[in-house]
Amino acid sequence: MATTTITKTEKLVGKAMRRQEDPRLITGSATYVDDIQMPGMLHACILRSPHGAANIKSVDIAAALAHPGVAAVYVGKDTEKVGPVPCGASLPGLRVPHHYVLAIDRVYFIGHPVAVVVATDKYIARDAVDLIEVEYETLQAVTDPEKAIGPGAPPVHPEWPDNVAFNYHQEGGDVDTAFAQAEVVVKQRITSQRLIPSSMETRGVVADYNTGDKALTIWSSTQIPHLMRTLVAQMLGAPEHKVRVVTPEVGGGFGSKLNVYAEEALMGFVAMKLGQPVKWIESRRENCMCTIHGRGHVDYFEVAAKKDGTILGIKLKLIQDLGAYHQLLTPAIPTLSVLMMPGLYRCQNVRADIVGAFTNAVPTDAYRGAGRPEATHGIERMVDILAAELKMDPAEIRLKNFIHNDEFPYATGTGLSYDSGNYAAPLHKAMDLIDYHNLREEQRQARSQGRLMGIGLSTYGEICAFGPSPATPAGGWESATVKIEPSGMVTVMTGSSPHGQGEETTFAQITADELGVGIDDVIVLHGDTAIVQYGIGTFGSRGTAVGGTAVYFALQELKKKIKKYGAMLLESEEVSFSDGVCVDHKTGKSVTLAEIAGASHRAMKLPPGTQPGMVETYFWEPPNFAFPFGAHAVVTEVNRETGDIEIKRYVAVDDCGNIINPLIVAGQVHGGVVQGLGQALWEQAVYDDNGQLITGEFMDYAIPRASMIPWIETEHTVTPSPVNPLGVKGVGEAGTIGCSPAVVNSVVDALSTLGVRHIDMPMTPEKIWNLMEGARA
Amino acid sequence: MQQFEYASPASLNEALSLLGSKWGETDVLAGGTDQISLMKEYLHTPKRVVNIKGIKELHGVHHSPQGMRIGATTTFDELAMDKALAAEYPSLVTAVLGIASPQIRNMGTAGGDLCQRPRCWYFRGGYGVLALQDGKSLVPNGQNEFHAIFGGGPAYFVSPSSLGPALIALNAQVKLVSASGSRMVPVGKFFVSPQNDQSREIALMPNEILTEIVVPPARGVKNTTYEVRHKDALDWPLATASVALTMKGSSVGSARIVLGHVAPTPWVATQAEQALTGKSLSDDVIAQAADAAVADAKPLSQNVYKVQLAKVAVKRALMEAAGRA
Ligand SMILES: Cc1cc2nc3c(=O)[nH]c(=O)nc-3n(C[C@H](O)[C@H](O)[C@H](O)COP(=O)(O)OP(=O)(O)OC[C@H]3O[C@@H](n4cnc5c(N)ncnc54)[C@H](O)[C@@H]3O)c2cc1C
Repeated sequence: MATTTITKTEKLVGKAMRRQEDPRLITGSATYVDDIQMPGMLHACILRSPHGAANIKSVDIAAALAHPGVAAVYVGKDTEKVGPVPCGASLPGLRVPHHYVLAIDRVYFIGHPVAVVVATDKYIARDAVDLIEVEYETLQAVTDPEKAIGPGAPPVHPEWPDNVAFNYHQEGGDVDTAFAQAEVVVKQRITSQRLIPSSMETRGVVADYNTGDKALTIWSSTQIPHLMRTLVAQMLGAPEHKVRVVTPEVGGGFGSKLNVYAEEALMGFVAMKLGQPVKWIESRRENCMCTIHGRGHVDYFEVAAKKDGTILGIKLKLIQDLGAYHQLLTPAIPTLSVLMMPGLYRCQNVRADIVGAFTNAVPTDAYRGAGRPEATHGIERMVDILAAELKMDPAEIRLKNFIHNDEFPYATGTGLSYDSGNYAAPLHKAMDLIDYHNLREEQRQARSQGRLMGIGLSTYGEICAFGPSPATPAGGWESATVKIEPSGMVTVMTGSSPHGQGEETTFAQITADELGVGIDDVIVLHGDTAIVQYGIGTFGSRGTAVGGTAVYFALQELKKKIKKYGAMLLESEEVSFSDGVCVDHKTGKSVTLAEIAGASHRAMKLPPGTQPGMVETYFWEPPNFAFPFGAHAVVTEVNRETGDIEIKRYVAVDDCGNIINPLIVAGQVHGGVVQGLGQALWEQAVYDDNGQLITGEFMDYAIPRASMIPWIETEHTVTPSPVNPLGVKGVGEAGTIGCSPAVVNSVVDALSTLGVRHIDMPMTPEKIWNLMEGARA
Repeated sequence: MQQFEYASPASLNEALSLLGSKWGETDVLAGGTDQISLMKEYLHTPKRVVNIKGIKELHGVHHSPQGMRIGATTTFDELAMDKALAAEYPSLVTAVLGIASPQIRNMGTAGGDLCQRPRCWYFRGGYGVLALQDGKSLVPNGQNEFHAIFGGGPAYFVSPSSLGPALIALNAQVKLVSASGSRMVPVGKFFVSPQNDQSREIALMPNEILTEIVVPPARGVKNTTYEVRHKDALDWPLATASVALTMKGSSVGSARIVLGHVAPTPWVATQAEQALTGKSLSDDVIAQAADAAVADAKPLSQNVYKVQLAKVAVKRALMEAAGRA
């Protein structure tokens, strides 16, 4: 037993550390779904509808089946009993179309799966898909959500000719009085266009069925392995305990892999039918066509205010483009927008009406921010419009309306309780960084020279750390198991499913600090239902705030056990444990974590009432969401000749509570801002009137590229969350949420001298030039 | 991709003997940056593919007092690295450097650039060069924001070649060789606007290979290219202008102004050329030439904006030629 002097180890929480997962990612030694090879593995390729809407008259698979190397071809009738593809969201009166994994007699959107070919290699499978003859009777399609719910639109689902999937109403305070008393009311139609999430790795599935064990293993590029296991087992009628889901490396998801797709069950079906492993890897075109899209809002906003800028009431009519089906959370996404529609402002009088519109398009669902970017874009545009109307400075009107620091927890008119906040702090910081007041002077000079310079602000709030279970469809807790191996090395198993968020690092930082070990003494495992206890997954900026907190609590339990063993080994009544050592302060004797771990496994002697081993599992149920916030400030200049927008400065100040790893937080903000810029400036999923997806590849769908991105300056303020002991809030989506309104506000500001008041996204140079032309005319 | 027979001959004669007499039978493969995607998308389904990259005589840049010869399989990157070329033909280098990404510039070839198929999304969607559905072009009432503002009908796609306009402004020719002989064709005549669904947008015959590009000397000729691009890299420009000015003292003796990506072929802006001849390159003259360049533009329902961009391209190319960029 050592009587070493205690050396305090360096604290890792709060330190900018490179990610533990990066060496394997940047040296090419990570394993993605497509890297999986198995003996006898077959390859699947899916025949998809080339039409937005059509009846299937007949499907002839004879030639495909006869093609050398083809093992099987399945059509809708073969898979009728599989599924349906699940919708986890429920709303009163929600119409839920039966979502077969393969279309039976009608296709509802371009890319709708019609048949699957399974062959000995992927090229044969692809060739044989072309040999399937499908006779279609094309039908009129509708892809514009407003047209879909208007008169005379063709029905997406014949059983619901009005194309309305649901109506949803939410109200708080006294909206009518607020509007009656208003001195000014501003109104604007604001759209948040359809976007293609475009993760670097497309979706992919490998399924393997052990016919002896009757056990199915599915490897899938997903954000939610456990939920998928439960749901796919249901879809296949397989017992859940004999289904295992593994997520190998996941090359990005952004919400698009927070889902259960037809292909996951379909590959399970194929593997079970054939008793051979099968792989399906989504092509980029399929990804554009068949993986969920994001956004798809048409919002009609009205804001009532006093002349001094005080906001009195907000009304919103929201038309959500749902697509043809509900995927896992489709109808729930716009309800999140409604929850966050007041933003950071002290306004209790709110009314929202959502119409969910079916269209002949791939479903929309969660995409980075999921409902909150739309909400933030709306309110932040409206505040600027109100400021312009009242000739107020956009910063001043925000400061006037922010919820005050002493009002937290703050009950919103939409029924939420904002946990903590200091909303003016990031705004002031952003304004200082960008030198706001001098900029306004510079702008005056630029204008006098005929230059179109703009300054835009957004102050955003978001609902994160999803979330209390009663407010989520499938449980909002998260789980963690921490075990100390006999050698003292530490294994963490988290129910989160990180796929780029860096939690293998941040959870190791938390663990290292609590146990007083080095970061390399900790490994974080996730994403295999056979290894990790049930968990919920990674989405909604919940990873650290919920999953990390579960790790923290598991560690507290473990520390109790460590101390019991420590006391036993030191033959002491009372010991303390810190920095990896148990100490009896009376005697000065100590015992290390490794010694304790070894002793607990050898179990020569047990502390009374204590089991051998060193493992604790904790399921943490969060009492509330967490509400991060921040401010973005953007300087732009518009080229008069071409309409090109140049971003001259970009400042992002966020407050995500305590920061565990500033490097990762900066990375999350950068990535988020880039996706926000994509929406503000370039990206738009376009369907034509026949339901053809015109932007079906990266040649036409303009995701941002490195060379198009300005320097992003990041800063932070820190307002800890009282919701969890780590004081963290979440940052995965913040950049995206704060970005688009700041950029649009900046460009509108640049063009305000021409009388421009609002611009819908994406703000393509052409759109800008047309606006300038219109102003000239 | 459909199955095909593959040949990689070492000599031009052998390659020529492998070509067919009808489009669709045999395809030439150079850098493959377009050819492979055409095949992947089933837009080309050749029975045989003849790789010409193994033919040594088709490769490399050769300078002589008579000008410059660019072998068909010379890559963009090789063109960009050629110092003598850069000194004499800045308009060509600008066009080369604007093309796509470093990866594409490493693979793509000069010959392939002139022979690449249209980028029109209707063509790429399988509707042919005329974008026909039920005998009618889908373009005039369709998604035509990137389509022709000059010379539209019956084809409305825009010529995708970035080198074409610069080469025409420089009075370059291409050499087309078949098993039965060879011919020199001015680049300006190489591009044609197809009149029916079956024809191609270039004068090449199915049994021919484009072997080299011959560019006359341009010492003393002010030549520049300006490209309007909205997404850096990985996309074609929206409008470009290549100019070549022979000066007489401080005024323009003769001018060549060729617009790119605005018509089914590179588009010679004759009126702009006339507006410059005999004038000095003042701001006003340049503005007049830019206006003249687009005076006859016939934009479609969604591409009025391109008229503005073509004008800007002419203006900026001329400003650069005047040394005031
Ligand atoms: C993302 C992207 C962006 C691009 N941006 C631009 C741009 O901005 N400007 C631009 O000009 N181009 C652009 N391109 C196109 C690119 O320049 C062409 O794909 C390339 O020039 C084709 O050359 P290649 O050698 O790869 O030809 P291949 O792909 O091998 O062939 C293309 C076609 O030409 C035929 N062909 C090739 N060489 C010969 C020959 N010597 N004789 C007869 N026929 C021949 C082939 O049969 C085929 O039909 C872009 C391409 C991509 C993928």
